Amino acid sequence: MDRAAIRTRLLEIVGPDGLLDDPDELLVYEYDASDEVFAGHHRPDFTVLPRTAEQVSAVVRLANEVGLPVIPRGAGTGLAGGALALRGGILIVLTRMNRILEVNERDGYAIVEPGVINLELSTALQPRGYFFAPDPASQRACTIGGNVGNNSGGPHCLKYGVTTNHILGLEVVLPDGERIWTGGPVPETPGVDLTGVLVGSEGTLGIVTKVMVRLTRLPEGVSVLLAAFPDIESASHATSAIIAAGVLPAALEMMDQLTIKAVEDAFHAGYPREAGAVLLVELDGLQEIVAENTGRVAELCRQHSAWEVRVARTKEERDLLWLGRKSAFGAMGRLAPNYYLVDTTVPRTKLPATMRRVEELSREYRLSIANVFHAGDGNLHPLVLFDRHRPGEVERVLECTTEILRYCVDVGGTLSGEHGIGFEKRDYMTLVFTTEDLCAMAGLKRSFDPRELFNPEKVLPTGFRCGEVALLRQQALAQRFGLEYV
Amino acid sequence: MTGTTRLAPDTALQRLEELGRSSDPSNYIVDGIPPRLALELASPETVAEALALCAAAGLALVPWGGGGQMGLGNLPERYDVALDLRGLAAVVDYEPDDLTIGVQAGCTLARLAAILSEHGQMLPLDADDPERITIGGLVATGLGCPRRFGYGSLRDLIIGITVALPDGTLARGGGMVVKNVSGYDMMRLHFGALGSLGVIVRANFKLLPSPEAQRTLLVAFPSLEEAMEGALAVRGSQLAPTALVVLAPVTAERFIGMARWTLAARCEGPEGAVLRQAERLRETAASATSDARILEHEETLRFWSSLQGKLGATPLANVMRVRIGELPSQLGELAAQLVTEWGSALEDAVLDVGSGLAYVTVAGTVEELRGAWTRLAGYGRHATMLAAPGDVKAGYDVFGRHPEGVAVMRRLKETFDPERTLNPGRFIALL
Repeated sequence: MDRAAIRTRLLEIVGPDGLLDDPDELLVYEYDASDEVFAGHHRPDFTVLPRTAEQVSAVVRLANEVGLPVIPRGAGTGLAGGALALRGGILIVLTRMNRILEVNERDGYAIVEPGVINLELSTALQPRGYFFAPDPASQRACTIGGNVGNNSGGPHCLKYGVTTNHILGLEVVLPDGERIWTGGPVPETPGVDLTGVLVGSEGTLGIVTKVMVRLTRLPEGVSVLLAAFPDIESASHATSAIIAAGVLPAALEMMDQLTIKAVEDAFHAGYPREAGAVLLVELDGLQEIVAENTGRVAELCRQHSAWEVRVARTKEERDLLWLGRKSAFGAMGRLAPNYYLVDTTVPRTKLPATMRRVEELSREYRLSIANVFHAGDGNLHPLVLFDRHRPGEVERVLECTTEILRYCVDVGGTLSGEHGIGFEKRDYMTLVFTTEDLCAMAGLKRSFDPRELFNPEKVLPTGFRCGEVALLRQQALAQRFGLEYV
Repeated sequence: MTGTTRLAPDTALQRLEELGRSSDPSNYIVDGIPPRLALELASPETVAEALALCAAAGLALVPWGGGGQMGLGNLPERYDVALDLRGLAAVVDYEPDDLTIGVQAGCTLARLAAILSEHGQMLPLDADDPERITIGGLVATGLGCPRRFGYGSLRDLIIGITVALPDGTLARGGGMVVKNVSGYDMMRLHFGALGSLGVIVRANFKLLPSPEAQRTLLVAFPSLEEAMEGALAVRGSQLAPTALVVLAPVTAERFIGMARWTLAARCEGPEGAVLRQAERLRETAASATSDARILEHEETLRFWSSLQGKLGATPLANVMRVRIGELPSQLGELAAQLVTEWGSALEDAVLDVGSGLAYVTVAGTVEELRGAWTRLAGYGRHATMLAAPGDVKAGYDVFGRHPEGVAVMRRLKETFDPERTLNPGRFIALL
């Protein structure tokens, strides 16, 4: 089918206001929030903005018929290039499917469309006494569908768990265009846990058209502490001490000196400028438990060299302390024209050594690195600052960040804690996984998407195409028993 | 299409015996059927090798932990080899300060709990026979306990997995960190898949600090309606018990000696806070006609462990246990219907109001139980026969009505287990 014929068919499905295919209109869809310097830009053949699940399904069926790739996209805030149209094709933007369809607080769930913005959902639930726990830094812009695709995290995942712990069920359009529901409002649905498999699959297995989310009861009590430390090392030790003491904070965030200064210059959150590092700790739960733990955490911070511990008593004070943390990425513009954000997780006990290594690499590669991260669960976010117009700097950034990843993997960590693998990190997958591990993952992909039309070139590294994998497996078996092919 | 030549079954059985230690097949009966060979293996590599041998010879294999959950599953389509994994019981990776652990599948819950408690840590699981239940069995069956209300289930705590596959490979997913989006979620692919897509040889979990103190509030009500009203009031409150159930009079009498509809709410945390929490829960749940009492720490542990015996899939004779998923707000109606229909045949009924699951144990002859299943299978959001004598299961799918997506599950089976080596016929839709 030629381009004009495909265009006609798409128009029939989504209508004239649901289709973009003019190069000027497509320009914005050549990018997502990943850095163009590293990920490049890739133009889709068409961008569609469906309003219903039926339309999504019809577009997928058409794509199948004509053999075009399909790339789902929410708000495009992903940092790993997951929404880039690397092989062209049809970009399905789900932002117009943005209704909250049902809220059932008695039974603890809500059903929403994938284009609902994360913060809007929690804002809508708040008056009823509930919230949606995952709260990525981009929560003012990112969509629930994107959260599902990337199994997004956020500060409050320390206590409440990541997105997958809060998704009860999904309506999903499979690569053949069929639409099914997985999971449901009550646990232990019989069969393979397709919901669990789909969450975090980065749009490579299906497109989510409805999401059944778990509602979490707002806690009775909340307190927020800010503790100032002389350096990152002592703040890291305090972090370990808090966790080891059996306290599970709702959030435990760290910022280094460079970040504190940037944040203070930009937003005046009232953080102590002289601090080498600050910890922001939120505790929630029953009043009695929060009161007791607030005292314990303050004491543990002081024992680990904190020279100032502030406790926010009111909601306004709490919001002010959080403002600095939530605005940290935005403040980076004060330090350098560009930054590259590395997302990686290490075992908590490896935090101090990892931070030392990041500092070493910063010196070695002559690049400033700011650190603002989820210390409680070992999820680092070194921000490597640079200027893309300075010759040789982009290459140095790439080498430096690769070294950071390599170190984190060496100490038992992983490639990405919450941002996803996407296109950006697919070729690093072999640092963590063996050929056998990746073959099994490719088998999962093949079971859903045998034609590899769904978000191609993502997650699995180059060289793990489905066809090659089947052959590898047969060879392995034959070799083992000295059997021959027939 | 290319493929490999087949290995003669007898040759494969012989080579299997060389991999480990043979055991008495009569100890590995599944729904009345013994295997041809029972094999104890002690390393992940030999498990992978055994799978490949079985696949090459067309033999059917059943992975075996403690056997404590072997009630779950359809009648085996074929059954040649039982793979006993209890020799695979090492704690591979435990750094208490990281609050994570990597453990081999055959490790029992009792052993794991003992190791964790030395460091004041836990996995929030209950079992009435912790010496028997293995980690691999818990992950493969995906059966949870009422504490999921406070802590999430094992599904929420699993952070890494290693499985042996019928192509003879060992494949990992996830890792040893608590936040990880690197690659597909292979943990949840295998969680609850009854070992039908791979044999779990290792799983990694995030751990929780053990609470300093525990109490359980028990409130006995004159009627089901009042008990459910109390339970739903607790559910809607901010009082955050870690488990919330309602027991039918017959079950309440068995465990606490009060033959009334009884609410049980579990409190875990610092000593002082827990006492206050139990008191506040009582104020929320109790009514003028109810009787309340509080179980002390040790009593609390005993109560929930033994109750778990009514929620699991231990093979059963003469009775059938069914798990029904239903919205918490609808559980009362469901229970009323069960009482009306079965009355004195109802051996036990536990409503997990925190999660939205009802566990029903019914007594009767094979024919009576088969009749009961045809009706129970239609109840709630989903219904599963957790355990029953093999004669009761014959001709039925114990996983009840099929969810949408069975076609995808079938493709997964074809991809991961093309020779139908792993638990053939036992999983949903006779996969």
